[in-house]
Amino acid sequence: MPNNLEGKVAIVTGSGRGVGRGIAKLMAEEGAKVVVVDPGVNVDGTGFDQSIAEVVVGEIRDAGGTAVACTESVATMDGGERIVQSAIDNFGRLDIVVCCAGILRDRMVFNMTEQEWDDVIAVHLKGTFTVVKHACILFRQQRSGRVITFSSQSGLVGNSGQANYGAAKSGIAGFTKVVAKDMGRYGVTANSIAPRATTRMIGAIPESAAEIRARGGVATLSGEGGDDSQLQNLDPDGIAPFVAYLASDYAANINGQTFLVYGNTVSLMSQPRPEKAIWTESGHWEMDELSAQARGYLTAGIPNPAPAQQR
Amino acid sequence: MPLLEDKVAIVTGAGRGIGRGVAKLMAAEGAKVVVCDLGVNVDGTGADISVAQQVVNEIGEEGGTAVACTESVATMDGGEKIVQTAVDNFGKLDIVVTVAGILRDRMVFNMSEEEWDDVIAVHLKGTFTVVKHASILFRQQRSGRIITFSSTSGLYGNSGQANYGAAKDGIAGFTRVCARDLGRYGVTANAISPSASTRMTTSVPDEARALRSARGIAAGGGLRGDAEDVAPMVTWLASDEAQHVNGHVFHVTGGLVTLLNEPEPVKTIQKDSRWTVDELAGVFPATIGIELYNPAPAPPPSA
Repeated sequence: MPNNLEGKVAIVTGSGRGVGRGIAKLMAEEGAKVVVVDPGVNVDGTGFDQSIAEVVVGEIRDAGGTAVACTESVATMDGGERIVQSAIDNFGRLDIVVCCAGILRDRMVFNMTEQEWDDVIAVHLKGTFTVVKHACILFRQQRSGRVITFSSQSGLVGNSGQANYGAAKSGIAGFTKVVAKDMGRYGVTANSIAPRATTRMIGAIPESAAEIRARGGVATLSGEGGDDSQLQNLDPDGIAPFVAYLASDYAANINGQTFLVYGNTVSLMSQPRPEKAIWTESGHWEMDELSAQARGYLTAGIPNPAPAQQR
Repeated sequence: MPLLEDKVAIVTGAGRGIGRGVAKLMAAEGAKVVVCDLGVNVDGTGADISVAQQVVNEIGEEGGTAVACTESVATMDGGEKIVQTAVDNFGKLDIVVTVAGILRDRMVFNMSEEEWDDVIAVHLKGTFTVVKHASILFRQQRSGRIITFSSTSGLYGNSGQANYGAAKDGIAGFTRVCARDLGRYGVTANAISPSASTRMTTSVPDEARALRSARGIAAGGGLRGDAEDVAPMVTWLASDEAQHVNGHVFHVTGGLVTLLNEPEPVKTIQKDSRWTVDELAGVFPATIGIELYNPAPAPPPSA
């Protein structure tokens, strides 16, 4: 029996299904006591089924692990605080937070409603903040802790039909980098995962968006042309080992990074870096001077992810 | 011929700083400009409608055409009214530049819900509300330019800016999706990450500034240009010359314009069955973990 997380207490949001469930179960197997957080909603955020979290807790207990269910929503500050409190009340401490909770409401940006925008931002982005903020109060006091958030290739690269999700997921990456800097000196680390897996959420991408992507030759989650086939059969449980590794004492100095994880593959994502630059000696551009250099060098041959199409 | 002859542009947050510079240069290059600004303080409080009008007056004195708009970007209604202002006054819309933003810096463990919500509302939702309504027109007319404002705070992370970093990196992600949703309609969407001395950067709390400098973290990316220096690249991206530029992020400071790379995997480990934590502990430090940079390492325990 592995015990890399022996004595630790972990919160995993969105762990009723998919990627989060795999993480909760593996962390329990590695010896952590786990708060399984999931209000059991549908992929679009509607409905409520509190038995979803209980089922995972049951599976963990059957395997000899320790877990409790929590059905608070991550989307409110109150909910985030209660989730953290649930770890304290049940297990007396908190060492690890993993934020997987998320919903999808795909729509092309020109048709996206306020509700579709607000709901996705609330669960992913604010839902990451509410839990991490309250966890960080404890982490700072105890001078240790692990924050592991979930970004996405959709945010890092951009998927058509996901303006809300892409904004939220990219926002989580930015948030996590700031948390890494705010908390690093207290012995806390914060990293984000951009996963690829075949889950209920991927299944929810509307046909129209998938079709439009394929038709427009727009790169999909696979990042390599209009083909979702690479997403097939990517076991969601494949994400868990690396997340558990990041949560362990082995990873004490891994901070402020983003990792792409799928199947049995783990990649470090690049930090933003300059690719090409133009400058003017005077320090202030004249319009025609900039125009010539921007056209002739800076953007010459630049890739366009969705070139204009003939009507 | 001026670069933006006959174009109509909306510039949010155009009452001061970078937005003002963009509005004025676009007008000088022939665009009719909707100068949007609530005239609020850097923290989002107060309101002064004369701020936008002042920029409109300046543009008028220089022979340009502009109208003021004091609707808030933070609501869908405000976003729609801003777009409508362009159509009502100038009959069409070609360019949206979303500069509007506020700051409420605080370490993450002390950040209040209001500090989070307000910054996300103005920056991130405030970019969506205007771009969404503009994109309805852009799609119909099969042309348009979207230029949003990200920040090095989101791209690299600045201590004390969990809300702002989330919003600004969120805008970069949003812009990449817009580029893909709208590119086929002849529209482009790009983001600017500026470094300039403005009212907003000088509002960074002394505590955060001291913490950053104590740890050798540059406050705004190091180089500091003037607010007006950001305008030429934005104006060029808005022009017909930049039709081929879509889905990118440019860092602009002073006379330096940098194309930033797309996020990509740089080091990879792989095996043909599922990893265990013990295996990762053996393999990671010698592969991906080599020379991994920790932006804020814990100090050694004091005696």
